[in-house]
Formats: sequence, structure tokens, C-alpha cells
Amino acid sequence: MSQDREATRRFDLFKKMGALRDALGTDLAKVVTAATSTGVYQRVNALVAGPILLASALLREKREAAMSDLLGQLNMPSREDVLTLSQRLTRIEMTLDDLGAGMDQMQRRTVSRPQRSSSREANPRDASPVDGRQSGVLSALAPAAPKSKEA
Amino acid sequence: MALATETAAPGLLQRLATMANNLVKVTTTKAPIGQTPRQAIWTLNKATLYRYTPVVPAEQRHPVPLLLVFALMNKSTIMDLRPGNSFVEYMLQKGYDLYLLDWGVPGPEDSQNSLGDYALEYLPRAIRKLKTVSGSETFNLLGWCIGAMLSTLYASLRPAEGLRSLVLLTAPLDFTDKEKIPLASMASEAHFDVDRVLQANGNMPAALIDYGAKMLKPVENFAGSYTRLLDNLDNDKIVDSWHAMNTWVSDAIPLPGAAFRQFIVDFYRGNKLVKGTLVVRGEKVDLGQLKANVLDVIGEDDHITPPCQSENILEKLGSTDKQILRVPGGHIGLMAGSAAAKGTWPKIEAWLAQRSS
Repeated sequence: MSQDREATRRFDLFKKMGALRDALGTDLAKVVTAATSTGVYQRVNALVAGPILLASALLREKREAAMSDLLGQLNMPSREDVLTLSQRLTRIEMTLDDLGAGMDQMQRRTVSRPQRSSSREANPRDASPVDGRQSGVLSALAPAAPKSKEA
Repeated sequence: MALATETAAPGLLQRLATMANNLVKVTTTKAPIGQTPRQAIWTLNKATLYRYTPVVPAEQRHPVPLLLVFALMNKSTIMDLRPGNSFVEYMLQKGYDLYLLDWGVPGPEDSQNSLGDYALEYLPRAIRKLKTVSGSETFNLLGWCIGAMLSTLYASLRPAEGLRSLVLLTAPLDFTDKEKIPLASMASEAHFDVDRVLQANGNMPAALIDYGAKMLKPVENFAGSYTRLLDNLDNDKIVDSWHAMNTWVSDAIPLPGAAFRQFIVDFYRGNKLVKGTLVVRGEKVDLGQLKANVLDVIGEDDHITPPCQSENILEKLGSTDKQILRVPGGHIGLMAGSAAAKGTWPKIEAWLAQRSS
């Protein structure tokens, strides 16, 4: 009996400690959130981050210039070359995607109507997933015009 | 006395062992998230379009497919967090032909990708593929966070491409009331040099995005989350849930530089979408051109995209069928929290079901 009482007392103590901790946490959260929302905090943050970012940018430029020189001397493509190539590959991928869709549209037009309708009626929404470059119906949705990036 | 000790000790030991196991699990492993079976049906650069394996026979499914689009700076696995707490799983069981556009992880070569590229190059092509595979000329779209913003841009600029209904979740569209938007002060010109950040990093690093979001509620994010875990370390169910969410939260991805710059300059600072001055890839965005049915879902406790960022947007849309849905919960909790399965999901599903036949 006395053990039960002891256990209950200990349990209550833990519960009270937890409640106290939560209450303190809630108050602390309000104070810290209020502090970090102020303009002063934001300005201090910006002041601290400014030099770090500047140093990082300069370091990055220097590192890339050094790496570019080294790769040039080794007659290897630079990072810039690789990035440009990757971007070109993405453009080619887009073109292939459009070509595939266009070809599929042409194929659909040439396929006889009974065959097409029977295959579609069989189970239109259970069509097997296919690779993006091999198939695709050019719907009314035409992809955007050639890239003309805004400033 | 001896009997009491003997019966209590195994229970206590078992509890301590469970706590130790759970602690080791959450600190040394990643929870398995995004487990619902799916097939990749299209890729472009880092983006992948997935089709989830239907669980309902074709004749019982909704004829209009649903495409999910998540934000650029977090993994889309939040849509399919874990069995029993997965929006994807729920919608599959409700008979939707479900697709997910995953943007992938951008590399340095993607730093020039703008929001316009994603809205007008990637999204239309993914939708074209979706139409091919589904055999449907119309579709519904659900965008979350920046995914909702991209969906809005797409729906406004390509209104006649078969989009029937658009669900916007915590959409950051309206930046008029900057006082009520905690991130607006952080992103202001006086406090944040976006060009310098991008000059130093190319893309916006995931760690900085995560830090910025967490600093909106520092104590809750840096301490409160772990306190909750420690309090429930002997409860496997709660630990598993915490582990899954923590795995997702700590797996943030960088935001492409040009897209981030546009987000800060054109949206946070310029509020150009609402003002009607936003130009995307040479095309002016007119929200009045958005004609699809719209459900605007707002998290009442969302501190990242507070309600003021989307509650007045419906007035500007050209849609005739538009509705606001206010649900309890924060930016992520409204869809991935424990109450979402009984609160947010059924409401979204009910709205979509009426517009999916």
C-alpha cells in the first residue's frame, strides 16, 4: 500500500516537472520568437551573414578560377564547360520529348480507327507505363515557346 | 515487497530496452518513407513523373486523373509519408488514378532554372505524358506550397489545356500584408542580400532554407520537437511517426538559384502576381485567366504561409467554381499530421470526387 502511494507520489512529481518544463518552454518560445521577429535581430543577422557570404563568394570565385586554370593546363573541360554541356543536354532532352510526342501523334493518326478504339476500350486507364522518349500523345497542350528568359 | 519488485522489474527493464532501441533507431537510421508502389513514366532532367499503382479496379476509378505537385525545396515523399498516414494511399483507396511530379534534386547546372521553366517547360510536358498514359484529356491538379504557386502559374498561363480542377494547399501567392508574413521581414532587401547568397552558392542551399524556416519558431523546432520525442520514447507508434517526419524534414534539397531569386524578388518583395505585373518567360500572368474549379486549402496555424497569403486570392481568379477550405494545422501538419486523415483528406477528396467524373 505504502509502495503504491510512493509510486503515485513519484509519478505526480514527474508529471509536475514535465508540466513546469512545458510551461517554461512555451514562455521561452514566445520570448525567442518575438526576439527573432524584430528588425534588430534581422539586421544583426544580415550584418553577421554579409561578410561570411562575401568571403564565400570570393573564395568560390578564386577556387573556380584556379581549378579552371589547372583543368585548362591538363587539357580537360572546365566546370563551366560541363555545366553548359549539361544544360544543352537538358534542352536536347526537351526537344526529344517533343519529337517523341509529335511522332506518337502522327502514328496515332495513321493507325486505323477500329484498332485504336478497340485497344483504348479494352482498358484505357491501365495502359502500360512507357518511356517518355518512346511514346507520348501531343495533346492540345503545346510546351512553351523557345526560351526567352525574363531579366 | 519482494513480489512487487520482481513483477515491476521486468516491465521497467522492457520499457528501458524499448526506449534505448527507439533512441538508437531515430539517431542512426532513416525511416522508410514514400513506400507506395509506383512506376516512373516520364523523366526530364531531374524531374520524374510517377504513376501510383491503382488499388481499385479500373471501372470503379474516377475517370479524371489527379496530378500531385509538391514544392521545389523538399522531397515529395511527404505526400506518401508512411503506410497508414499517407495521402497517396488514401486517394488510391478512394479510386483515383494518381500521378506525382517529383522535381528531383537540382545540381549546380540547374541554377538558372526559373519558376517559369518549371511551370511552362516541365509541368506541361509531364501533363502531356499523364494524358497519354491515363487516356484522359482532362485532369485535376493538386499543388502544395511552391507546387501550388507553380500550378497557379500554369493554370493561369495555359487555361485551355484540360485542367478541370485545381487544389491549392498553403499557396504562397499574396504578399500584400507583409506584417502578417513572418518570412517577409527575413526576405526584405534590408535584411537579405539574395544575389550575394546565390553568388556564394549558385543554388539556395537546403540548410539555409531549413534554418530560415526553423528560425520562425526556434524553440519549437530546435528543442520542442526533441522534447516530444523524449517524452514518448517508450511509445513505438509515436516514435515511428516522429521518425518518419524527422526523416522527411532533414532531407531538404536546394532550391535552384534563379527560381529562388524570382521567389524573393518578384513574390516576397514585389507581390507581382497579385498586382498583375508578373512576367514569366515573356508571358504576363493574369489570374483572371485561371478558369478551372479551385479549392483553396488554408492551414489556420500555418506560420510559413499564413492564411493572408491565399485567402483573398479567389477574388482575382476567373473561375466560377471556387471555394476556401480552412483546416486546423500548420504548413505541413494540415496534410501530414495525425489528424489529417480524418480532417483535411476527406474534405479534399469529397470536393475532388464531385469534379472527377
